[in-house]
Amino acid sequence: MNSDAPGREWRPRLAAGVRLRVDPADGRERLLFPEAAMELNETAAAIVRLCDGRRSLAEIVRELAGRYGTADAIARETAEFLGAMRERRLVE
Amino acid sequence: MNSIQPPSPRSLVAELTYRCPLGCLYCSNPLDFAKSRAELSADDWSRSFAQAAALGVMQLHLTGGEPLLRDDLGELTSAARACDLYINLITSGVGLNEARLGALRAAGLDHVQLSLQDSDETAADYVAGAGAHRRKLAAARMIARMKIPLTLNFVVHRLNLDRVGAMIDLAAELGARRVELASAQFHGWALLNRAHLMPTQEQNDRAEAIARLAAKRLRGAMEVVFVRNDYLAGRPKPCMGGWGRGTIVIDPTGRAMPCQAAASISGLEFPNVRTAALGEIWRDSSVFNAFRGYAWMKEPCRSCPERERDFGGCRCQAFALAADAAATDPACELSPHHRTVISARGELSERTTPVYRTARSSRDIIRRNNSPGG
Repeated sequence: MNSDAPGREWRPRLAAGVRLRVDPADGRERLLFPEAAMELNETAAAIVRLCDGRRSLAEIVRELAGRYGTADAIARETAEFLGAMRERRLVE
Repeated sequence: MNSIQPPSPRSLVAELTYRCPLGCLYCSNPLDFAKSRAELSADDWSRSFAQAAALGVMQLHLTGGEPLLRDDLGELTSAARACDLYINLITSGVGLNEARLGALRAAGLDHVQLSLQDSDETAADYVAGAGAHRRKLAAARMIARMKIPLTLNFVVHRLNLDRVGAMIDLAAELGARRVELASAQFHGWALLNRAHLMPTQEQNDRAEAIARLAAKRLRGAMEVVFVRNDYLAGRPKPCMGGWGRGTIVIDPTGRAMPCQAAASISGLEFPNVRTAALGEIWRDSSVFNAFRGYAWMKEPCRSCPERERDFGGCRCQAFALAADAAATDPACELSPHHRTVISARGELSERTTPVYRTARSSRDIIRRNNSPGG
């Protein structure tokens, strides 16, 4: 287990200066921060919407499992995605 | 002729004013900025923000000159936020105080990018041509204290590249979420001062290695980004992500341009947001269409597989060094003009005096350009 991997009790939220908004050009959600408007696929957008600082990582995974894949796959994908986002200081 | 359907613009760079308390040797404002007269009104800007948002722009960079010198900056920020734009303030920090910053935050400011010239005060103030370093440090601390996300930007060049380690440490100490070490690129004032600013290859490589190690060490705490000088890159950068592909710049007088240096290319007619709508400018103006797509390219770009990645590099650099804005960027090692870049690499002359970006030197340049011999 990588020591940097997010713990299940972590309650992620968007970092200050990071905003999620719908792109009127295509109706898809994008993550806005000073350097970019990052495109999010459907799963990524669903994960980010749940990063409200109240839900734990385990709870986020529980909500998404079934809707976007098997529990194992979602747990892995969510942890990977949020770990990478935390590394870029987009979530905390 | 204008058969290329452009993608939506994603970002708007609003140069609110050319007024500035600093005189940096590499300023991105045009050399002849002193001939500019009336600045756009708050109404002009608000209308432009709304038109930009309707076109698909999501990010707004408020810059200058020094945008804090606009007394209506709060009003402009509110207007931009009303269009749901992401608002980044690019500032020297000179003139910032807690009341002002608090008001900007309340108006919807998302992020601040603060410029620092160096980690060393004397060297920083030399490059800025003004005693500003201490005030900038105070501004950075204030921004961090008020929990507004902060990027620090150091323009790096021969005079400060040996201190990138100290600059990164300073940025971390000041609480930045990101530090940019962006090499001075040789347009306008920086081209005029190239002999003072041109780094050596060894110096650049050393600095780049330090930045790379720091990026690894600080991962998760602070992002560290190093941008190499074009002359040392070998291949050109995809300047602006391609001409007229994603960015609109509006200068203080309302001229709409595909990049901040575009006015350095002679022969281009820039539409003005006072008299034309941004959608029309983006889609139909000759200047935004001038270098869209690939048909305008010459060899070696025209048949080069890299053209879809780098778009032939920088049009302003091609004009400045090859006297042809449609030429391959001479920064490219495949350019027939690449030797101008190679010979400039050895240009370490300090016989000339540096030219600070001041209204006086700008007026001198205008006078010289207008004189029959010049």
